[in-house]
Amino acid sequence: MIRFAQALIDGTLVGLVYGLIAISFVVIYRASQIVNLAQGEVLLMGALFVWTFTLGAPTLFGFKIPLVVSLLLTGAACVALGLLLERLVFRPLIGQHAFAIFMASIALLVMLRGVAQMIWSAETRPFPAILPSGAISLGPFLLNKRLLIGAILTIILALALHLFLTRTRQGLRLAAVAESHNTALSLGVSVRSAIAIAWVLGTVVATLGAIVLLSGRILSLDVAEIGFKALPVALLGGLESVRGAPLAGLLIGIGERLAMSYLDPVTNGVASNVLPFGVMIAVLLIRPQGLFGWKKIERL
Amino acid sequence: MLPTGIHFKTYGSEAGLLKTTRARVWVALLVAGLALLPLVSNDYLHGIGTQMYITLIAVLGLHVTVGIAGQINIAQSAFVGVGAFAAAKFVEFGWPFWVVIPAAALTTGAVSILFALPAARVKGFYLALTTLAAQVLFPIVVFGLPPTWLGGLVGMPVEPLTVAGYAISSPMQLYYFTFAIALIMTLAAFNLHRSRFGRALKAVRDNDIAAEVMGIDVLRYKLAAFFAGSMFAGVAGACTAWFLQFVTAESFTLFSSVWYLGMLIVGGMATPIGAILGVVFITVVQEGLHEIASAFVRHGDASGTIFAATNVALGGCILLALIFEPRGLAHRWMVLKNTFQFWPFPPR
Repeated sequence: MIRFAQALIDGTLVGLVYGLIAISFVVIYRASQIVNLAQGEVLLMGALFVWTFTLGAPTLFGFKIPLVVSLLLTGAACVALGLLLERLVFRPLIGQHAFAIFMASIALLVMLRGVAQMIWSAETRPFPAILPSGAISLGPFLLNKRLLIGAILTIILALALHLFLTRTRQGLRLAAVAESHNTALSLGVSVRSAIAIAWVLGTVVATLGAIVLLSGRILSLDVAEIGFKALPVALLGGLESVRGAPLAGLLIGIGERLAMSYLDPVTNGVASNVLPFGVMIAVLLIRPQGLFGWKKIERL
Repeated sequence: MLPTGIHFKTYGSEAGLLKTTRARVWVALLVAGLALLPLVSNDYLHGIGTQMYITLIAVLGLHVTVGIAGQINIAQSAFVGVGAFAAAKFVEFGWPFWVVIPAAALTTGAVSILFALPAARVKGFYLALTTLAAQVLFPIVVFGLPPTWLGGLVGMPVEPLTVAGYAISSPMQLYYFTFAIALIMTLAAFNLHRSRFGRALKAVRDNDIAAEVMGIDVLRYKLAAFFAGSMFAGVAGACTAWFLQFVTAESFTLFSSVWYLGMLIVGGMATPIGAILGVVFITVVQEGLHEIASAFVRHGDASGTIFAATNVALGGCILLALIFEPRGLAHRWMVLKNTFQFWPFPPR
């Protein structure tokens, strides 16, 4: 029983971190109608920025940077990356077929991985401990502090972004862009600025995800794989729903943890890895718009 | 469009793949040149040639699924892997090669249908996500299955290929074998365009509602598009198994799937010529980068940097093609050909 409850707690916390990364997917889609498969690579870039301005700084720049300043620098670098991607890749593709935009994100996946490897090399490196490590014990259960902070952050962020996207003028403009680029353009909504905002938000949220995920752990290029784990979460929650992402993350995180503790010993460790993608295919078959997504006729 | 003065007396001659004597001569020269190439090249080039033919088969399959039928598939490499493992298993059973290749193709096609089934409910890039699931699940499942089935984490060794009692194992022999297979598959891809099946797929790609109104069973043809494209992948997989003589799930990554797609996009999706040009272009770029990098780094392990540089180059090529020439190199080639044919008049 304790094992079951502990699996539930772990699953909840890990799931909310998946939710955080799924939010970075959703926020890009919700504001610009781009499914960005390269989100894992964006997260990797964010993590590498953090490393550069914290642990990498003494060797690279010759002096230590205070944590607050380095986080600000990381934020600036994320904004710059988002704007750069908008200007070079997605602005020329406005109004193109969805296929072209999807392929551009795949090209970006390959390219960012290559760029990361060329600039920072493929070696593994320690990631700074920005969040506290260790665990809080609550009766017989253990709560990982890092993941707990991440979970709270996820929920706050999801609510804040939801309010931004549904209650502010700028957020509603983004909704128009997510509906249709051409309709938005004809109504005088700037698709360029929408895509720029989407990418800035997406890179910043992904970097927050990287900090929660990696704080005090090891950073390698394989971190980017998390992007593929977050994709089923985003799809289950609904690609247009920021609030759906944490809930879907919760479901998939708990499912994965339960599969890990009860099914994996029988199935040679396959069950927990297969589960998110099984869920993804099931969602596409049964309810393509996800739990809270917009129901569109074109998808059927 | 053909220049003035070329007339056809029968339907057969107008429907032919090579309409004029000149075209037939050029293609015969190309085939003869490729067949005679081993006389002047070395084993290294044979290896690259073999790899290019195998890649071409896989990309032609992608051309069928993505180019003709308009269904995005980002799991072509996983499907090649399924073909390779199927072929390795069938070779273990002691089947001859002319049974192994079709059997591997059919197996791969059947597996692809599993992941194409959501086409009943979704379309566009949502469908692409299920193929992404196929790509991510492939190594997990292969590694997780009992090692006696597909070799688990280690992989499976493959007996060398024998054709009519002769072992095909030297690079030159493999070059000729894959050349012959690639020739057959290229012919199949060209012929697909002028069959009812191919035209139905194009109708589905251009407007699936209109296609449905014309009496085309859209779901069936979408599944068939995946099946046909994956059969090409299965053939490529069987060739890979014999070429590497060892199959492991690690050789069939998402990255090679993206490479296949990139080749198709750079070359041009709409024609098999695009697939050919894309494969040749990207392979030349890759080999060129390889040469440059090894010239710079004489000592030390530079493979990581080369891998990174080729990825950046490929990503850049795809983006440039998407932004500046979505019709790919094939379109440029047509323009060049037209200019040549119509000279001194301006091309069409």
